[in-house]
Amino acid sequence: MFLTKEQQKMLDGEFGHAIAKLTQLIVKIGEVNGATRLIPIKNAQIAGVSYLTVGEPIFTFFNMLSEDNVKVSVPSWLNPAGMDMKKWKEMGIKNDFAEKQRKIIQQYQKMGIQTTLTCTPYLIGHKPKFGEHLAWSESSAVSVANAYYGARTNREGGPSSLASAITGFTADYGLHKKENRVPKIVVDVKATITHFSDFSALGYWYGEKFHGIIPYFRSIKNTNIDQVKMLGAAMAASGSVAHFHIAKHTPEAENVDLSYISETVTFNESDKKQIYDHFNQIKERVNLVVIGCPHTSLEDIKLIDSSFGDKSIKEGIKFWVFSSQELMQNDKAKKLLTSLEEKGVKIFTDTCMVVSPVVRENYKNILTNSAKAAFYLTREGTNKVSLLSLSEIIEGVSE
Amino acid sequence: MKTMKIRTIVEGTVEGIALVSPIPISFFGGVDAETGIITDSENPLFGESLTDKIFVFPESKGSTVGSYVIYGLSVNNVAPLALIANKAETIVIAGAILANIPFVDKTDQDVTISIKTGDKLVIDTTQNIIKIKKE
Repeated sequence: MFLTKEQQKMLDGEFGHAIAKLTQLIVKIGEVNGATRLIPIKNAQIAGVSYLTVGEPIFTFFNMLSEDNVKVSVPSWLNPAGMDMKKWKEMGIKNDFAEKQRKIIQQYQKMGIQTTLTCTPYLIGHKPKFGEHLAWSESSAVSVANAYYGARTNREGGPSSLASAITGFTADYGLHKKENRVPKIVVDVKATITHFSDFSALGYWYGEKFHGIIPYFRSIKNTNIDQVKMLGAAMAASGSVAHFHIAKHTPEAENVDLSYISETVTFNESDKKQIYDHFNQIKERVNLVVIGCPHTSLEDIKLIDSSFGDKSIKEGIKFWVFSSQELMQNDKAKKLLTSLEEKGVKIFTDTCMVVSPVVRENYKNILTNSAKAAFYLTREGTNKVSLLSLSEIIEGVSE
Repeated sequence: MKTMKIRTIVEGTVEGIALVSPIPISFFGGVDAETGIITDSENPLFGESLTDKIFVFPESKGSTVGSYVIYGLSVNNVAPLALIANKAETIVIAGAILANIPFVDKTDQDVTISIKTGDKLVIDTTQNIIKIKKE
């Protein structure tokens, strides 16, 4: 590995023990993956925030970092936490969890990381630019940054994205290199995909079949950011796919080298149905609806509001929407929030159904339009989830 | 005595007894950082302690927060002596570096077959070898 003088000094401990460890971590991961140099990153998105997912061990790590009083050297944003930082009691979060969660956020804040607490930083103004090198760790955000924006990031872990945020570097391997961004499989999309849940089903189907392989989707007519985020999130959850191309839509698709394509597959109506059938598990009464995996945009929230029309939610069913605090500061969002609350819909920010403990613990039968959410909520086998389109969900739970 | 060539990820020369997990290990949710005990009920090593053993496993799985668990093991003085995997991945590399636990891998052979629980091992990262003395 070639290191600049500055990087060598960081590794040698001239800037303290913590910086040396974090640099060593990036160098070693790079060496194992064949990198020959480190490259500067523009920004970092850091996972490992919810107390549910990091547990007690994170505090020992924070102790090591705070001894050297380290700070991030590039703009850095946090992934969702385990609760809405204001309305946590309303979610059913217990006091001791809330206390631990606040401590974790404070520690990240001390390092200069912005507490955006969202998996969709690109929806709150932090849109990556084409060709930029990043160190992002939330898997759906990684896939959107690579595919929709043409930026370059590997699927980092919580620790490695934090190491990059602090040192300002990542190792030059994987998706940072053009030759590793080429598609290997063409997917002809024959099934009709209109609803967000259809995009999600397509992503889930592909990821499950072709773990880790970059696809090139053909025959997808429309794509907006909200559809692409559903597609990417599901593919990352079921198959760790971190990059993809959509013909005529994503920025690299036009010029990407197609000579490595080894297989063409078709996504038919029957494949789509198979995914919906797999997540058609609720036999009894629905307890909770969860929307917002990944976090909702303003357009998503508008669509939820308009789909309700004059109807409200039926007695005994809860309807939770997850978004980011920053998005809800918008005046239009505040109006929508009031309108939705009148219908019985709750919008929680800073968290989601996957990283908050209360969804899995307190609600057995859950409806969602996200295959990623369905995947994580059913993984432990304690919850039943049905995957439906937003309009079908609202039709079923309102009156 | 059998000798095996390995790749060194984190340096250190140690001698100890092997504990072999035949299946991938999730450090987060699968190992208790306070006690060093394997808590994954699907793992045949369920209830065994990693502490002061040379822990051998095919690969890791699960959350990347697993790195913090490995670090936690060392802070709580219940860490394994060393780690041996078939292929070093980000989760374990990050954890082993933070915790300063010797870590080697062997990409051309299944270490969980060539090494058995109870074998006496010497890991020598200056020569990139493991010496295996059968149980």
